[in-house]
Amino acid sequence: MQSLGIDVLFKGKNFIRLLGGLWVAVRISLISVAISIVLGLIVGVLMTSKNKVLKAIFRVYLEIVRIMPQMVLLFIVYFGTTRVFGWNLEAEVSAIFVFCFWGTAEMGDLVRGALLSIPKIQYESAMALGMNTTQVYAHVILPQTIRRLIPLSINLITRMIKTTSLVMMIGIVEVLKVAQQIIEANRRSSPNAAFGLFAVVFILYFLICWPISKLSVYMEKRWS
Amino acid sequence: MDLNVMISYLPLYKEALLLTMRIGWEGVLIAFVIGIVGSAIQHFKIPVLRQIMSVYTELFRNTPLLVQLFFIYFALPQIGIKVSPESCGVWGVGLLGGAYMAETFRSGLENIPKIQFESAESLGMNPLQVFRYVILPQAVTSSVPGLVANVIFLLKETSVFSTVSLMDLMFTAKDLIGMYAKTIECLTLLVIFYLIMLLPVSILGTVLERRLRYAEFGD
Amino acid sequence: MKKKFTKATAALLALTLVGASLAGCGSSASENTDAAETAASAQSEAAAEASSEKVVYRTLDEIKESGTINIGVFSDKSPFGYVDENGDYQGYDVYFGNRIGEDLGVEINYVNTEAANRIEYLQTGKVDIILANFTVTEERAQEVDFALPYMNVALGVISPDDAVIESLDQIGADDQVIVISGTTAETYLEKNNPEIKLQKYDAYAEAKTAFVNGNAVAWANDNTEVIAFANENEGYTVGIPSLGSADTIAPAVTKGNETLLNWLNDEIKALGNENFFHADYEATLLDTYGADYEDTLVVEGGQAAGAEEAEAVESVSVAAVSADSSK
Repeated sequence: MQSLGIDVLFKGKNFIRLLGGLWVAVRISLISVAISIVLGLIVGVLMTSKNKVLKAIFRVYLEIVRIMPQMVLLFIVYFGTTRVFGWNLEAEVSAIFVFCFWGTAEMGDLVRGALLSIPKIQYESAMALGMNTTQVYAHVILPQTIRRLIPLSINLITRMIKTTSLVMMIGIVEVLKVAQQIIEANRRSSPNAAFGLFAVVFILYFLICWPISKLSVYMEKRWS
Repeated sequence: MDLNVMISYLPLYKEALLLTMRIGWEGVLIAFVIGIVGSAIQHFKIPVLRQIMSVYTELFRNTPLLVQLFFIYFALPQIGIKVSPESCGVWGVGLLGGAYMAETFRSGLENIPKIQFESAESLGMNPLQVFRYVILPQAVTSSVPGLVANVIFLLKETSVFSTVSLMDLMFTAKDLIGMYAKTIECLTLLVIFYLIMLLPVSILGTVLERRLRYAEFGD
Repeated sequence: MKKKFTKATAALLALTLVGASLAGCGSSASENTDAAETAASAQSEAAAEASSEKVVYRTLDEIKESGTINIGVFSDKSPFGYVDENGDYQGYDVYFGNRIGEDLGVEINYVNTEAANRIEYLQTGKVDIILANFTVTEERAQEVDFALPYMNVALGVISPDDAVIESLDQIGADDQVIVISGTTAETYLEKNNPEIKLQKYDAYAEAKTAFVNGNAVAWANDNTEVIAFANENEGYTVGIPSLGSADTIAPAVTKGNETLLNWLNDEIKALGNENFFHADYEATLLDTYGADYEDTLVVEGGQAAGAEEAEAVESVSVAAVSADSSK
């Protein structure tokens, strides 16, 4: 049974590499969430429009995001786009693209919900004060919406971090792939390393995601 | 795009679809059971079990399925617990889903006014009866949107099964691409088959949601 | 009613949209295949592809100009391509890759690939060269261009000592054999022994861990790989040391990338003069295989011969087995 691979962790730069892999995952999701929030605000405002065509387009967009696994989207963007359009996206760019495609839809839908939940009277009062539409949104509606959205976007961050585990399938070396490489390089000296390393990866993900999701629950309770 | 190639791949995709659906839905079923039992445990505040339940939900909600599968399939055998790929897939989805379902049911339960518990008890029902006849039906109804979202989420998550050597849709596509490099055909079929698997669930969910909302308003 | 209608339209729209985008892919792709079909030789096929403005590869000059070459290698297939505890790529393939970078005068960006992605990476131009223990086969040669070979290989089957499988007949109807998706072992068994149940994995690391965990009765792969595994890990025997034809391993480039292909061929020939691949073997494979297999595994200067080499590979394998059983 030996040490179950804990010793392997402290060999060379192994542990630092593992953390580096985790950082890749966190980086991808932070960038994606930031972009998704901005795009989601725009899309969400557009979603409240009464335009039939616009509505239908967003409906389809939401439905695609709802039923296509992120892994399928990753493959289509990473391999498919080069085939069809000749774009050569780097793996990390593809991943961020897919995550934004997904995040924008979710944020947009949340923004739409939040906008609709703001009483009509506020729009009317603001207008009565002589504000134009842009001003109403900028000074009255969006600040309130954003406040409601913060806990939800924090929640989206954890879900994105969890989903980043898929990016190893398009060749990005993130924490799980680093763990595999370490197991592989040390198979002879510690054949049981798989247990220790996968357990550590499991714990690392938990240590990152748990506080963030606790924070989102806390903020949701405090601000609602 | 070569239609003949696509047609020749159809049987493989069909097989993969059946496997994905079977394992996915078996997992969803387990998730339902865990969810109901789990939310009941939380609801009745059963000591010890309750703590175990909340550790379990926190653990599985805050880690990716892929990492859970790696742990179950590759790490556990090294301390003597061996799991077949199929049961690993079913239990992976079931355990992950159970944590989500329990949360969804719990918030469904919280939405039920206290007075109903008291009324039911004053009618002479025991706590189990109250749960079975009064609470559960309402909790399930009010959690429908959440439950549908969970089911779709879980069926989508099956796309990581390749890692435990289950020939699901995603793996079939990847495998064929690896062998014959017909990328566009394989990815097209992949999209079509996921639509076949999930579009009906999504539509049914929307219909169901609307029905129930009408029912609520009708009260 | 009206709402339901909207929903149905949305669903329909979704389908048409997907359909349309697929048709979009379809037209461009089928043009390509049609052109390819009418083209008589491989060369005009490359030309057709070039004329349809879908050149995804970088020429030799473009690579030199950019100052970096992208080379696809394995990161979990020791001792051929793996990552050491300091995060550096190592192994037989990587040793060669480093030399390529040195002689081209460019930096090397190693890209981690899985077996099933290798063709895809070249065809989409995500790497310039694949050096991931890529066995030359007819099917693959239709998709990518192989340079001269640098190693010999055949297939082998490894199994635990207490239930050694020496012939494929021994594999029962319910037994499973591990293969890695996108390898020659997978294609071979699918084609020649469709009755054998395969357990497929994406990555070497996953397959090996599953094999050690006892999830299958055997693991089929390149014989070099399984022999290495038997030598490095106690309790396993290569019961079938040579299966299928004797093949070679060579660098591959995107189809039509002649400048890079020619440079690689010249490079491999030139390296033969200094016995480069023997040095490579001694630096990376000696620990695993010992000195006995050096001459039979290594292909120097791209000089792989047919029958003679095949026998050689077989004898390596036999030697490996006897060495193993004497342990």
